[in-house]
Amino acid sequence: MKDELILQNIKESLINIEEEKCMNLMQDALDDGFLPVEIIEEGLSPGMLSVGEQFEDGAVFLPQVMMVAALMEKCVAFLNDNMPESEASKIHGIVVIGTVEGDVHDIGKNIVKVLLNVNGFEVHDVGRDALLSKFIEKAKEVDADIIASSALMTGTMEAMGDLESEIKAAGIHDRVKTMVGGAPVTQYWADKIGADAYAENAGEAVKLVSDMVK
Amino acid sequence: MEYEQRMGDGRRIMMAKEDIITDIENGSNEAAEKGKIPALTDDDMDHLLNIFLDPSRMATVDVGDEVVMSTDEGYAVFSGNYSEMGGAGIPMDATSANIAMERVMGADCVTYAWVDYNFKPSKAVITQLQQEIESILLNTISPCSYGAMPNLGSYYKPDGPFDNVGDLMAEGKIMEALEVYKQVAEDATEDMVWVTGKLAKMGLDNLNIDTAGAAGDGDFLAALKATEILKKTIPNFSVEVGMANEFVLGIDGTMEYDSMRLAGMYPHDQVVACEKAGVDIYGPVCNTNTRKSTPWNVARAIAFTKECSNVANIPVHPNMGMGVGGVPMVENPTLDAVTKASKAMVEIANVDGI
Repeated sequence: MKDELILQNIKESLINIEEEKCMNLMQDALDDGFLPVEIIEEGLSPGMLSVGEQFEDGAVFLPQVMMVAALMEKCVAFLNDNMPESEASKIHGIVVIGTVEGDVHDIGKNIVKVLLNVNGFEVHDVGRDALLSKFIEKAKEVDADIIASSALMTGTMEAMGDLESEIKAAGIHDRVKTMVGGAPVTQYWADKIGADAYAENAGEAVKLVSDMVK
Repeated sequence: MEYEQRMGDGRRIMMAKEDIITDIENGSNEAAEKGKIPALTDDDMDHLLNIFLDPSRMATVDVGDEVVMSTDEGYAVFSGNYSEMGGAGIPMDATSANIAMERVMGADCVTYAWVDYNFKPSKAVITQLQQEIESILLNTISPCSYGAMPNLGSYYKPDGPFDNVGDLMAEGKIMEALEVYKQVAEDATEDMVWVTGKLAKMGLDNLNIDTAGAAGDGDFLAALKATEILKKTIPNFSVEVGMANEFVLGIDGTMEYDSMRLAGMYPHDQVVACEKAGVDIYGPVCNTNTRKSTPWNVARAIAFTKECSNVANIPVHPNMGMGVGGVPMVENPTLDAVTKASKAMVEIANVDGI
């Protein structure tokens, strides 16, 4: 019988950046009959999301977030090696992400990027102060499922509306969904400009992207 | 019966009295939980409720309870671009704008700031800044302040010489990132001291280090260290520190000032660090949540700021502009929301200025 507590322990060891313990627990979980995908979805991902939430609350700091993300990547690579060939390296979706032109704020965008990455998404970052054409070009190049844009200022969030127009003009609106986020952005704003989703924080961004690519 | 209120993004909404009460309680409790501070008292919440039930177009304080305003710069108010600065877009030079600010708007101080509003690029135009400050000083009576942001982000490539700390961390180069971050903070400190020294020679009265902590704990540390140096080296010079965020983001996480860890500090801790550094006026920030109502946001901001006022030994002037202090995040914040939030700051949070 599978011991569900082991997934909780994996989550805790990830949060505490206990690499050896985490690796051993994952091996125990595999021996116990857990599927790699179960370990990711019920052990590692909740751990990573928890760290993201703690960062937003000021309880943990950026180096810890990055170290947890690095450990999570190692864990996912280990589990990938133990997955059936059909499941291994399965990408959940392709995301193009960036902070819109005129806006240099990228801390929040970087956190979303890390969380998406470790949750199995292929993420292409067009950076901060990114020309809207860069979002479009990259989305076409990688055949993206999602274009996610961030803005921290009311003056620059207007560019999100322009991005929606440019996506339509580029003829890729039918095959790519859009998500917006950042301090001044609201669901009202997302609806107004025609974005498909609005994420209030990094954890919600991962959930929304997961839902949109299903 | 329903009362007209605002959302955090400025939209008009109608709320029942019971819903306003609930939002005030929830906003206060959220601050208490996050900041580990006392929630507002029942009397405070009753007072706040009365402020929000008042249908007047604008709110004000009683005669004798007025506080000073360390205002935003006149140039931004009159000449600034509407969408980015909330300015009126009137073609006007900085001196004229500050004269108007003093003589027409009744400003308690005049302010100049380079249009980019960062310390680093101020270096390249320092003689122009000196000339502007001299001109303002010769034409106005009120204390003259220079405002700028430490903005550690401006030190990263392509704007500056350093690799972006966030990118380095994402590449797993944590230790290298932390080393770079420390160096950036030191460079920012030097730049703040250098620029201010040049302006003080012209007779500048006050430095406003604005949006301190915007790029995390190193950003705040640079502001504190610069203050410490300026207070030691320039006689009778005053320094105001206004924050960027309600808590100090931990980009490093271990940085300390006078044995106080900066990351994670809320206003009531930040003001203590500021006092130690020699700051004369401290400007706390409480971020507005655009998804919540103004009663929720103001109650939350008041709870944070009241505790800050309680522990402070220096004047507390909260930031009450777009998106902070319970004020909605919209380019030209609405009169009703701004004045109600400001009244509450004075009457409940006991602030000394705005």
